[in-house]
Formats: sequence, C-alpha cells, structure tokens
Amino acid sequence: MIARLLRRAGISLIVLAGVLLIGFLMLQVIPADPAVAIAGPQGTDDEIEAIRRHLGLDQPILLQFVWYISRVVTGDMGQSVINNASVSAELLRAAGPTIELMCAAMIWAVPTALALGILAALRRGGIVDRLVMAVSVMGVSVPVFWVGLLMIQFAARTRAFPIQGRGGPLWTAEGLSHILLPATALGLILVGPVARMTRTTLSDALHADHVRTARAKGASELRVVLNHALRTALLPIITLVGLQVGTLMGGAVVTETIFSWPGVGRLAVGSIITGDYPMAQGAIIFLASAFILVNITVDVLNELADPRIGSRS
Amino acid sequence: MSLSRTSSLARLAGGVALAAITAAGAAQAEGTVTIGRTSDADRYDPQRSSALAAAEVLYMMGDTLVTLSHDLKTVEPALAESWELSDDGLTYTFHLRKDVTYCDGKAFTAKDVVGSMERWLTPEGPYVSAWKAGTVDSITAPDDYTVVYKLKSPSSGLLYQMAQFNFIIIDPEQAASLGDDFGVKAFNGTGAYCFDSWTPNDSLVLKKHEGYAWGTAALGNTGPAKVDEVVWKIIPEEATLVASLQAGEIDGTYALPAWAFAQFEADPGFKLIQPVASFRTHYVGMKVTRPFMQDIKVREAVSHAIDQGAIADAIFFGTVKPAEAYYSEDALDFDPSTDLAPFAYDPDKTKALLEEEGFTMGSDGFWQKDGEKLALTYYGFNTSREQAEAIQGDLRKAGIDLNVELYDSTAIWAKLREQTYDLYQMDYPYLNAGDALNLYFSSDSIPSPNRMMWDDAETDKLLAEGNSAVNDEARAKAFMALGKHLHESILWKPLLLEKPTVAIGPRLKEFQPAGISGAAFGTGLNLELN
Repeated sequence: MIARLLRRAGISLIVLAGVLLIGFLMLQVIPADPAVAIAGPQGTDDEIEAIRRHLGLDQPILLQFVWYISRVVTGDMGQSVINNASVSAELLRAAGPTIELMCAAMIWAVPTALALGILAALRRGGIVDRLVMAVSVMGVSVPVFWVGLLMIQFAARTRAFPIQGRGGPLWTAEGLSHILLPATALGLILVGPVARMTRTTLSDALHADHVRTARAKGASELRVVLNHALRTALLPIITLVGLQVGTLMGGAVVTETIFSWPGVGRLAVGSIITGDYPMAQGAIIFLASAFILVNITVDVLNELADPRIGSRS
Repeated sequence: MSLSRTSSLARLAGGVALAAITAAGAAQAEGTVTIGRTSDADRYDPQRSSALAAAEVLYMMGDTLVTLSHDLKTVEPALAESWELSDDGLTYTFHLRKDVTYCDGKAFTAKDVVGSMERWLTPEGPYVSAWKAGTVDSITAPDDYTVVYKLKSPSSGLLYQMAQFNFIIIDPEQAASLGDDFGVKAFNGTGAYCFDSWTPNDSLVLKKHEGYAWGTAALGNTGPAKVDEVVWKIIPEEATLVASLQAGEIDGTYALPAWAFAQFEADPGFKLIQPVASFRTHYVGMKVTRPFMQDIKVREAVSHAIDQGAIADAIFFGTVKPAEAYYSEDALDFDPSTDLAPFAYDPDKTKALLEEEGFTMGSDGFWQKDGEKLALTYYGFNTSREQAEAIQGDLRKAGIDLNVELYDSTAIWAKLREQTYDLYQMDYPYLNAGDALNLYFSSDSIPSPNRMMWDDAETDKLLAEGNSAVNDEARAKAFMALGKHLHESILWKPLLLEKPTVAIGPRLKEFQPAGISGAAFGTGLNLELN
C-alpha cells in the first residue's frame, strides 16, 4: 500500500506540473494587464511602462515562467504583483476558512444525504422515496448562488443569522453563527447526488444474497441495513463524495463570493480579475493539490472499505 | 421593521438557543462604524494607486495641504493654513500648521511635504498620476513650516488638483523603509484615523487618531473623530451588500446598486444622502478620424438619436440625471451660454440631418450613402451592458446600425487604443471644467485618453491659455471659451450625470458627504453614531 501511495504521489507531481503550465498559459491569454489596472483610466504610457518594469512584467513571458518555476521548486511562491503580499502567507490565511467551510458543509450534508438515501431505498417506490428523489433532483438542479441569495434575503428580513463574513474559529459561538448560512448553501450541492447514489446502490445491495442470508440468520433490520447492506453499498458512495469535493470547491468559489467568506475561492477570483499572476497561480496550485489529495484519500478509504481492491493490484 | 417582530421571527427560525447566539453575533461593537463596499484597493499608497477604493480610505488616514469647499469651487486650508502665489504664477509658498503630528507621534514638518513630493515625482518610478503635480521645477523647505513649490510653467488648476488624494502627505521615511510593503503592511499618516490592519479583499480597520485637531473648519468637525473605529468591509456581491445594510451588519455604503434605492427610500430607518457637488459624467465618445464620424452632421445625428433620459429612468431607476453637457453645469468654469441643443434627444433631427448629408434610407431600414450602410462599431465596458443595449436600440430605431463590443475593465483600456471603433462609452470623475478639459481634449493625449483623436489647434491654444492663467478671471475666460468650442464640435454625446449616493443605517447620524474624487465618506470626521 505504501508503494502504491508513493506511485500515486509521483503521478500527482506530474499532474501538478501540468496544472502549473496550463494555469500560466491561461493567465497569459487573459487580457488583464496589472500595470494598466494600477495606472487607472488616466494613466499615461510612460507611467504604465515604469510600473511594468517595476513589477518585472517587461521581461519575455518565457523567462518570467522559468523564473517562476525555479522559485516554486524551492518552495517560494513569490509575491503578489498587486500588493506585494507573500503568496504562501495569503494562501495559508485563506486556506483555513475554505477548509472550514467545506468541512462544515460536508458534516451536515453527507449524513443527511446518507439518511435520505437509506430512507428512500428502504421505502423504494413509496411516497417517501418519491419525495426524497424530488428533493435531491431539486438539490442537483438549483444553482448554489440562487439558494445563497434566497437565504440572504431570509436572513436580512429575520436577522436570524449573520449574512456576511467569518466570525472567528468554528468552535466559537460567533464563528458558528457566521458559517451556518454558507455551509447550508454549499452543502446542498452535495445532498442530491449522494442521496441518489445511496438509494441506488443500497437498494441493489438489499437484494444481494448475503443480505438475505443475514436476514435469514435473524439479524435485526438495523443491523442488516447498516452493517451488511450499507457496507457493500458504501464503495461507490465514497468515490462519489470524493468527486463531489471538486464540485464543492467550485461551489465554494461562488459561496465565498456571495457570503464574503475570506477563502481561497475569493482569493483566486480576485487575483485573476486584477491580473495578479503569482497569486492566481498560487491559488490554482492550492486548489489542484487539494483535489489530488482528496482523490488519494478516496483511494485509501476505498481500500479500507474493501480490502480486495488493495490485493487485486 | 420592529424589534419585537424580528426577534420573534428569529426564534421561530432558528430556535431560542441559536437566536441567543446570533443576537450577540450580528451586533456591532460600540463606537465602531462599518462601511461596506464591493471591491478593495490594490494598495493604500496615494502615489501608487489610482483606485477610488484607495482614495476613500486614504482621505481618512492622511491629509492634503489644501482641500476644497463642499461645492468644489473654493480652495480651503488643510495642512497648509495659508499660501501665496507669485505674480508670474510660478511660485506657490505654503505656510504649514505647527500643531500636526503623525499617528506614530512624530511631528509633521515641511521636510515631510518635500519628501512626499520627491518620492512621487521620482522619474521612472512606479508612481501614478504625477501629471497632476504640474511641471515642477523644485519643491523646497526653507524652514520647518514653509514649503516653496516652484513650477516651470503656470498651472491654474494646481491648487484644485492638490485636494486630490494623490497629494496626501505620507511619511517619507516609512515609505523608504517599507518599500513595496508601504501602504500594505502599514501607513503612517496625519489623518483623523490611523491604519490598524488590512486583510486584502476582506477588511481594513482604522482607529481614531487621538489628538487630531487640524480638520478643515469649512467642512465640519475639525477633530478629533467622533467614532473610535472605522471598518471598511468588502462584500463583493451587491445583493449581499444590500442585505447586510438592511440587517444592520454594516452602517453605510456608497456602493448601493440602483435597483435597491427605492426600498431604502421607503424605509424610515435608512437615509440616502448625497454630496453638495461631486461630478462623474457618463458619455459616448466619437472618433473623429473614422469615415462616417469625420462629418460633424453625422455626429450630431448620432447624438440626437440617443435618449439619455430613458437610460437614466429605466436602467438607473432615476437615481442619476440625464446629462446634456460634457461636464456638470454646476462645475467651476462651465459657461451657461454653451449651446447644448445638439445633445438633446430628437430622432426627427437625426433624420433631417442625415437626409441633408445625402444619406438615403435603404430597404433594410438603415441609412446608406454611396452604397455604404451607416454601420458603426461601439466599444464599452461589460458592466454597462444595459446602457449599450439601450443605445443600440435607439440607434437602430433611427436607422443606424450599431455593432456593440463589450470588454472587461481589465481588457478594455488596451482595446480603446485601437483605431477600429467609431463610438466608445465610459464615465469619468472630475473636479471642474479645467480638470475635465485637460484630461481628454489636448492633442498631446492622442491616442489615449484623447480617444476621439481630436487634433485641433484652437483647443490646444485655449487649453494652454487656461492652464497658464495667473488669475481666476483669465482662467475662467479661457476654459469657458474652450468648453463652448468643444461642445460646438460635437465630440461626445453626454449621457448621465452621476453623484455618489450614500445609504446609511439607523446607527449612523446624517452627515454631509464629501465630493472630492467620489470618496463620499471624506475624512470621516463627520461620522457620528446615534
């Protein structure tokens, strides 16, 4: 297993290098010029030239990229061209809130989705099943920004929850109240797909031979569903949740903007808009690494849930 | 919205325990004013940023030598308590206040003014808007409280420009020692508030400057500030900003979207306030070097076809005024006798003018001349999509085809340097007629910001006369004549006249917003909690 993990890590490095290159090229295609943005509408040509020189943007693009890579390899992500802030420091500052938000979304959404899926699978074809499926189809099709804006309207009217910003760490009352709305909005993305997947795989598993055997042995219904059926049904669900983390990160960019959450998504959007290449690159690397890490974790979890996967390869 | 109603709803919604948590969570700290806005500045260095987002905070953290009255017509003392101008209009002598200190306790002297200006005017430095300083010959400090500002050529607009945020006096020693981190990690100023912390794209915290007593009397409170802390909060989503103001999470904003005005107007808990004068004009510029646009009659025909009143009503919900002049009629040196008739909406005149110029109506419903369809290309910002659509619709109705190309604000400046478009739309802030005229119409500014490619000897001559005028009458005479001449030449179609509107919530007392540079919260000296 260790060897396989190492191999995965090696492949991931290649993927990251690709992300780096594509990210860099894409940022070159975007017409944003930070020097022009800084100089403003009334900036003169000389001013723009001087700013460009100061930021090192007058050098050939290829040279800029080589410099950038040579610094990144040594672990130096560079400085923002807009405000000279250290990219690594800004990423560290923004990573916490993003991870916090994603965890908070998953903590409520995954169990809820599992419960809904199980309920639907047990009552397959019944009214509960139809209801759960209707809700999850809605969850899949309603865009997160719309839900977010509805929640904000509700909160503004009732003043029940803080609307924007982060109040502090999750374990404080202030922090908890601030994360409620964004985490609810973001988690909704997850509920639909996971509930549907749980329902499908679990209802298949409920008809499997070993489940019938378990029932025949007189195991309680709870035990049959949770220990025998769900365990075999869990594999595709874990994979799906892992994949959904990617969607969740995409949703986090929107959610962070709507709820003014100071996370990586907003950092990425902000730096791309202002043409802040080093900062945008840093955010892209961070998001890509997070995605790779989640995928490796999913593999490990799958192996733990089904040891056969490990022994097969 | 009554208190009992909201709290009972909150209990219904979230349960008693949760409401108890959040009642504490949403409340703001005593003595703190939170201002919401949608975007942050690149940095808070008056010499390296051109952003309004930087200006509005810098006015709270620092002072200029002089400032302007509420109507933007009179120069008022600030860090300089008095000044003289030599007869040749070249030498300004400023006498500084002796009671001014920086936030770190250091006394403010003439050396700081010289140091600030020297940094800003460093040749080849990464500094912006240095043209506002005029053609500087030398800036010296004969003693600790006198600054002599010598120009190579007179600049009648200099004192007005000196009220702009780029002239805010910095701490030159701090700027030298912090380098690229100046205005990012720290800012030591003489303003009514002191820099406390900045988290880019999230919030900036200012603390009251204890002992501040050198505010400009003509603008209200001379200091110290009446609130302990000002928090500038970034809320990128407009709808969230509106909701935050409703919910009391922020106390004020100038970034209210036009669609939200009505609901705050109707709510007695909120007030919408505006500066006495603050100028920003939206216009459509016409490139006079393009085939059809060379003809002044065609330019006039285009001008008559666009209904700016409808744009103001339908897109801005009447929160801005339709404009009929390149700059506000309330601005200093606007000549009231300027002929504004060519800028009125009148599609019949469009028809008459085009017929007069030999255009014929084609079977496709568009005017044509010598077999060529009257089709124009228009560049605009993607944030002004609705304006572009309205203009396209108006022109189409009048028989003029408009090909609209919209660009992001980061990309448009490069596109606007091209020669491939006939019309472009943008908006610009200015202090007075001279400021507006200097920006756009000089032949030296071709191809940008003189995007009309207006190369006219009369314009250059009058501009030089106005700029080198050594007294108010001569300046006013030249700029009024120039304004008239340029309006007669029909280079722009004025669209809208915008004034910043500040929405304030129930915690904040009503105050007089400031007008310079669109930074409506001004020095923040007039902010006061109920």
